Amino acid sequence: MILRFLRNKLVEVEPRPDGNLSVSWRLTDDLLKVDVQMIIQVPDMEILEAEAKMDRFVPQGCESASVLIKRIEGINIGSGLRKIVGGILGGADGCSILVNAVLESANAVILHFTRPGIQMGEAVTDADQKLAGLQAMLQSSPRLVRSCISFQDESPIMQGLNL
Amino acid sequence: MISFNRSQVIGAEFPDADTIRFNGIQEDHIYGMEVQMEVRIADGEILKVDGNMKRYTNFVCPQAVPVLQTAIGNSLRDEGWESKIMKEIGRKGCEHFAEIIIECGHCLDQAVRSRDLSLALEKDPGLDQHQFLQNWSISP
Repeated sequence: MILRFLRNKLVEVEPRPDGNLSVSWRLTDDLLKVDVQMIIQVPDMEILEAEAKMDRFVPQGCESASVLIKRIEGINIGSGLRKIVGGILGGADGCSILVNAVLESANAVILHFTRPGIQMGEAVTDADQKLAGLQAMLQSSPRLVRSCISFQDESPIMQGLNL
Repeated sequence: MISFNRSQVIGAEFPDADTIRFNGIQEDHIYGMEVQMEVRIADGEILKVDGNMKRYTNFVCPQAVPVLQTAIGNSLRDEGWESKIMKEIGRKGCEHFAEIIIECGHCLDQAVRSRDLSLALEKDPGLDQHQFLQNWSISP
């Protein structure tokens, strides 16, 4: 059966020569095309610049996307971001697509910083050492505790940890 | 050089007039997941779901595959459905499965709108597409 609808989304993080991060978030489907670009200052994670373009059949609330997105400049990627961005860009008269674009871009930035640690962990072949590595990661990143099945209380990774 | 890249691809088929079948793929430098899901268009209820974990970070992750079944019966139109999916499928299972289901949910009305516009254009190629979409609503 052929597809009657197809959506492609792509988010990319690219370090810049000045040490900051460039984030590109794009969406294209049968009815919509969106391009959001952001520059994130490292290490304080402030959104320095944000631009947005929307094309094809732009939903109600998103007609001024290029102006709306400017409201997130100056915000820091960190705790409470979901609520802050939802408050600034979302709501009944807001643009949920831009909210998702910003949150997914922020998530990609976090995964940019997570990737090297996971890559280093892959070099460990001994099962006990691997487990110890995961437990050390949890202790240094308590936000991960109970964030998924691997880090729930019943998980073997959590055994012996008092988190 | 790109240091992190994630792609999400959501395809939608319509096996019958009131059912949509999503195929969702999420690939990034760290994770690789797929979800197939059937949803009743009228009320957004998840009727069937299946998932495949291709690339993950630890030995417990695959235990999240059966947790996907708890999504059945949830509606993608209920108030707060995204938070519920993230809590039930993401926290109790895998966040990346939840992300795919949520993106399928974001595509629900958009896919039906797209199908309806495409069908209308088959009947009237000169149709005012903007006007059609402005007046569009889910058929009762």
